[in-house]
Amino acid sequence: MKFKNFNFDFIGKRKIWFLISLVVILAGLIGFFVRGSFNLGIDFLGGSLMEVKFERDTSTAEIRGIMGDIGYDNVIIQRVETNMVKAESDRFIIRIKAEDSGDNVDGEEKDKILDALDSKIGLEGNLLQDRDVDPGFSSKLVRNAFIAIAIGIAGILIYVAIRFEFRSGIAAILALIHDVLITLGVYAILNREINTSTIAAILTIIGYSINDTIVVYDRIRENTPMAGKLGYTGVVNNSLNQTLSRSINTSLTTLIPIVLLLILGTTALKDFALALTVGVIAGTYSSMFVASPILVLWNNRFPKYKK
Amino acid sequence: MRNKKVNVAIIVIFILIIVGCFYYIFRDSISNSIKLGLDLNGGTQLILKPIEEETGEITEEKLEYTIGIIRDRVDKLGVSEPLITKDNFNNIIVQLPGVEDPDNAKKIIGKTARLEFRLVEGTFVSRKGNSWDIVEFDYQNGELLIDPEAEETILIEDVNKFFQGESVPSTGRLATNPENNALVLLYPQSQDESDESINESNADEPEFNPEEIMGTLEYNNDTNEMFLVKDGEEIGEILIDSRTGAATLVGPALITGDELANAVAGYDNYGNIRVGLSFKEEADDTFAEITTNNIGRNLAIALDEEIESAPYIRVPITDGEAEITGITSIEEAKNIELVLQTGAFPIDLHLEESIYVGPTLGMDSLRYGLYAGITGLILIIAFMFFYYKGLGIYSMVGLLVYIIIFWGVISAIGAPITLPGIAGIILTIGMAVDANVIIFERIKEEILKEKSPRAAISEGFKGALRTIIDSNITTLVAAGALYFFGEGPIKGFAVTLSLGVIISMVVSLLFTRSGIFLMSGIPKMTTHSFLGLARRSGE
Repeated sequence: MKFKNFNFDFIGKRKIWFLISLVVILAGLIGFFVRGSFNLGIDFLGGSLMEVKFERDTSTAEIRGIMGDIGYDNVIIQRVETNMVKAESDRFIIRIKAEDSGDNVDGEEKDKILDALDSKIGLEGNLLQDRDVDPGFSSKLVRNAFIAIAIGIAGILIYVAIRFEFRSGIAAILALIHDVLITLGVYAILNREINTSTIAAILTIIGYSINDTIVVYDRIRENTPMAGKLGYTGVVNNSLNQTLSRSINTSLTTLIPIVLLLILGTTALKDFALALTVGVIAGTYSSMFVASPILVLWNNRFPKYKK
Repeated sequence: MRNKKVNVAIIVIFILIIVGCFYYIFRDSISNSIKLGLDLNGGTQLILKPIEEETGEITEEKLEYTIGIIRDRVDKLGVSEPLITKDNFNNIIVQLPGVEDPDNAKKIIGKTARLEFRLVEGTFVSRKGNSWDIVEFDYQNGELLIDPEAEETILIEDVNKFFQGESVPSTGRLATNPENNALVLLYPQSQDESDESINESNADEPEFNPEEIMGTLEYNNDTNEMFLVKDGEEIGEILIDSRTGAATLVGPALITGDELANAVAGYDNYGNIRVGLSFKEEADDTFAEITTNNIGRNLAIALDEEIESAPYIRVPITDGEAEITGITSIEEAKNIELVLQTGAFPIDLHLEESIYVGPTLGMDSLRYGLYAGITGLILIIAFMFFYYKGLGIYSMVGLLVYIIIFWGVISAIGAPITLPGIAGIILTIGMAVDANVIIFERIKEEILKEKSPRAAISEGFKGALRTIIDSNITTLVAAGALYFFGEGPIKGFAVTLSLGVIISMVVSLLFTRSGIFLMSGIPKMTTHSFLGLARRSGE
């Protein structure tokens, strides 16, 4: 052998890998139940959002006090970090859910809020951002998000099932669901806002993290006819080892720019980058430690190839 | 089989494509080569949904007509480069770059602008003790907001005169039908009778005589309209008087905005704000006839089911001119002028979402996205040189070619870059190298099978081809789902992602491949140390 050949026992230690996945998913679930729900943005709940810049640094508590004085007790106030380099605390996002104000706050109500903030703290310039989402519209967005994810997954299942085998498709989808659960879990634990960008990022993960799985499946398909005494388990394990460096390297090259985006980007870009980063890591893990061991388990149970 | 001529041709074609891309990138100026989406550049976006119940079936024609009117209104507002489109769900999306006052845009763009002239039958007032009060109408819940302690509610033809203390006969009175609890309008009592009932001030007792019923008030939940119905026929409708909020009963529409020739905002001789209306010739006679037959009554001018003004008809009007008065600001008058001039929508629209993004907000994202992208690019290239040694040069050139083509295509088709799109571009930079990794790993494997470098390269590409296509198609499937179900910026993300995937696939499978084949003719470019194998070959 001329080069260092990897020889990890991926399949034999599958219980450990499954356990790790289970623990991470459970941690996310616990995070979800402790919080009670996801931190859903106005995309999904409807309501109004204003981003303001003050003349001086202030705190969420001070803004909350002012909002309370004019009758808005239940608002979400979020400090805006523009980037890692500059820790600003003069920019804030104020969110008023539609259900708190009956309908969305209209122009006059917003003027009232802005006047109050201006007289107490002092506003600089115009609004940076101003959004109103009708609750009916946001429920449609949620529905569309679910449809998009379902169609994305179904499309991939069909494609993989045609190109490989039906069981490969199912195993790949299980790995994808694993990735999505882990990503959502991280959002629940960190209490990060979930909005349409997050959904887009999740769909991208679905499309991307299947790549590693396909690289492995491709190799398994190539190696299966020459299985010999290795049996299917050996073929899968060897294929994983043969594709290991490419799985890791493709993930690394993808992770480099998105981790940089996570570090350098603005809040809105970070929303995206976080989901992508978690998803790519989970996807790389699942293609090696979830999708392929499932294939072996399936073959053990319903042998199609020699075990 | 790898013909040298074919490879040279491929490289030449790519060089031509790159030149073409440079043309598009530098066509205007480099800073204008990429169109920025509203979420980066600043501006206002409105999403309007047609409401089916109120307007019957929504047809393609009606939608197109509505979009035409919106375009007209936007033009009159003086917005440059507006973008008015329709999404897969028939929502109308109006993008107004640079517009900083979403409130005003909302007022003008979404307004149905249905103008109707209807005779006033009366305004509802209720009495509690000796004080009279107007009755407001909550059209969303279909309720007349009558004080529960009110002793009676009557219809008054001229509510202004009534409150000024003049004697105005009532034209009807409201009662609850004990049989079904429906609100019914009864014919007015004769003068002495009504005096009597006031004296008695006993609301429980009134004798209910079905013969007296003028009509029943029926509310349509879907359209939020309340009609006065007699024998299954709508004989009147309750509208809100925008000046007082009072519930006003009006007759059918006699003239509509279709008959309007022009509308002009301005001041009358006394300096009051007004919008002057003039009718088309055909409608002049109708208008003259109506005013001649109804001297002494009020003619309500209703805009979108709200009474803007209700002038008293003193003399017949034969010149086909009318005016809306009682407007509080000249801006409002200008808005009314604008919507009347551009005409009424054939469908009603509901504002689903309004977004305003200031001009500075997106620029931060753009700047830091650019930093992340450039740093990422340098680190990826460094990594490829470190791990794949000489082969890294192909990644570097391939990535640069990818970026130039991506940039050129984006500026050629004018696809706007949105904020999620920035993330998409940065992601595709990472993904573009994936194909290289797959190919390089495969080439290394083939060489270790003791193949000649040239054969190894050929085999490596052959083996990698299927994998690369499979893995990219799955990403395209996901991007397709995003494109069809996403909205606005997310669509932009789906476009950039798909373009990135396709372009990077084409670059690595054609350009990089031909490049490697041509270069493999040079002995120095195929040594084990160049291919990054020296470290591991124990020789």
